Amino acid sequence: MEKQPVMKIRGLTKKYGDVVGIKDLDLEVYEGEIMGFLGPNGAGKTTTIRTCLGLLQKTAGEVKIFGLDSHEDSIEIRRRTGYLPGDFGMYSELKVKTILDYLLSQSGVSDKSRMKELGERLELDMNRKYGNLSKGNKQKVGLVQAFMADQDLIMMDEPTSGLDPLMQLKCYELLREEKERGKTIFMSSHILAEVEEVCDRVAIIRNGSLQVVEDIDSLKEKMGKKLEIEFENSIDPSLFEMKGVEDFEMDGRRATMIVTSNLDEVIKAVSKQNVLNMSLETFSLDQLFLTYYSQGGNGE
Amino acid sequence: MKIGNNMVMELKKSWKGLLIFLIIVLLLIAGFIQAYPSVRAGFEEDLEGQENIEMEIIDENRNVTVKLTWDGWHEKEEVNNYTVLMSNTESFTVPMEKWENIDSPYIEISLEKVEGEVPERYFAVAWEEEERKLVGIESTVDRLEVFQEIWGADITDIRGMISMLWDMWWVLLIGLYLGYVSVNSVAKDFEERRMDIIFSKPISRKQYILEKFTVLSLFMFVLLVITGLVMIGSVGSVGELNTVSSTALFLSTVLSLPIFLVIIAFSILGVVHFKNSKKAIGFSFLIILFQFGLNIVADIAEGLEYLGTYTILSYWDHEAMLVDEVYSMTDIGLIFGLALVILGLTIWLFEKKDIPV
Repeated sequence: MEKQPVMKIRGLTKKYGDVVGIKDLDLEVYEGEIMGFLGPNGAGKTTTIRTCLGLLQKTAGEVKIFGLDSHEDSIEIRRRTGYLPGDFGMYSELKVKTILDYLLSQSGVSDKSRMKELGERLELDMNRKYGNLSKGNKQKVGLVQAFMADQDLIMMDEPTSGLDPLMQLKCYELLREEKERGKTIFMSSHILAEVEEVCDRVAIIRNGSLQVVEDIDSLKEKMGKKLEIEFENSIDPSLFEMKGVEDFEMDGRRATMIVTSNLDEVIKAVSKQNVLNMSLETFSLDQLFLTYYSQGGNGE
Repeated sequence: MKIGNNMVMELKKSWKGLLIFLIIVLLLIAGFIQAYPSVRAGFEEDLEGQENIEMEIIDENRNVTVKLTWDGWHEKEEVNNYTVLMSNTESFTVPMEKWENIDSPYIEISLEKVEGEVPERYFAVAWEEEERKLVGIESTVDRLEVFQEIWGADITDIRGMISMLWDMWWVLLIGLYLGYVSVNSVAKDFEERRMDIIFSKPISRKQYILEKFTVLSLFMFVLLVITGLVMIGSVGSVGELNTVSSTALFLSTVLSLPIFLVIIAFSILGVVHFKNSKKAIGFSFLIILFQFGLNIVADIAEGLEYLGTYTILSYWDHEAMLVDEVYSMTDIGLIFGLALVILGLTIWLFEKKDIPV
């Protein structure tokens, strides 16, 4: 059965006066997947999430979450959505427990067992005052409050910000578990390894516009592989003038190229020469990311 | 979501400040009333002989001549150095010394008539020796008491004294603090970056504003009820409950609530509009000070009484409540209605705005 989109964004535009936050954004997030939303600071990640939740008024376009309109049915959407903001504060004079009780109650949930379980799992001392917590512990409060009401969709803006490496791993584990339980997660990040680690698909945004939405594996596939060969003698570059070979460069007896398809033909062409050394490298998400951001000459 | 959660959180985070303020207010009120007997004694001494001036007004078509005489008041010794001060209500607090070193207890003053009326003027005669001693005060207009005219009530009477308290610093003291607290109750949620989490839960902006307004209103109501009760106890302790009834004391206090509701609503409107606590506090204080100033001008400036219509303070007629036990529910309802209109406007505006980061 085809998966249903939990989030459906069409032509979403948000302007702050004359400044464009996001423009004409189209995106779908499907049930049970973890969608990574990648982009550097100021690209429009937070604006997108906040507009979807109705915290910002959209300028144009449409956002449907669970088939509901993000503006008209904002309250119902928020009843079913957990959210971890990228930058948040809480009542510094109050205890973590008091704050979480209040937020859980605001979500209309009275069962505190999941809240306690998450607190224990993330080693959060709930009897401390929020104002006395370190940045990492404050982030844990954010994580607990985002997951404690056991909602169907979780939106997260930089979820591991401020967490130590061990806690980051616990967070990834939690995300994967939630996915296993059928939850949908839409998370923004600028940490590529994080997205590679937990996300099924990735959307890359630059200057408020969506650049690409792809399954991570097929995206890497599409981006091709970097082939580097050292020949015994100089060769005729026209040997590699074939479909699926891009950016061919020859430096003395060393050739580099990007092979996006047709690898078999390339290998056969190589086999006709005497080869001293050869390497085939898959693009990492870092390289992908930089490629997308350098397009248009405005790599951030 | 549970209705009232935001109210409970507001109280949890700010109860200490509110409690301290309540205690300060109660101490000030009780202290003020306790000071009444000695204040009255001081005034009575100052005003001894205040009736000892005789005034005759001779209309001479266009101009008016006022004859003041005060012969025979000081029997012990011969006094031959008097000062006559003249004022209208606008300048009464700083009266002009019109005639100095007068050696005769008799003076004629010419006044220009205004539109066929005898000009409204007050004359005070003082006897000059080592220190100035008031001989008496007289007015060209027939009023109850000169002090009643000036202060809005006779301040040698406890009702006048309380009325002066309400007029002079009640709204300023409570209003400015309430404006500050109201602005911060919302602005801190913006500035301490709580808004995103608060509004990620299923709560409407309307409910949020209504809960903030309600909790602040409830605090004010409790403050006024306790103040009213303390007022009764305090007035009773100085033996003045035969002058003013407990009901009048209590209701004149509690019925100032709608004025404070307007202040709360304006303050929240300021935050929602400016999204900045400093600007919103400035806006709130400006409105309070403007209303206060306008009320004072309307009270004392000749020909500007109509300005009183534009001040919310004039719709809380505490004098009529304290003296005549008349409670105009229409007036109270009007201010209450105004508070609701401002609140409605605030909600409308908030629903159209982005939640700032």
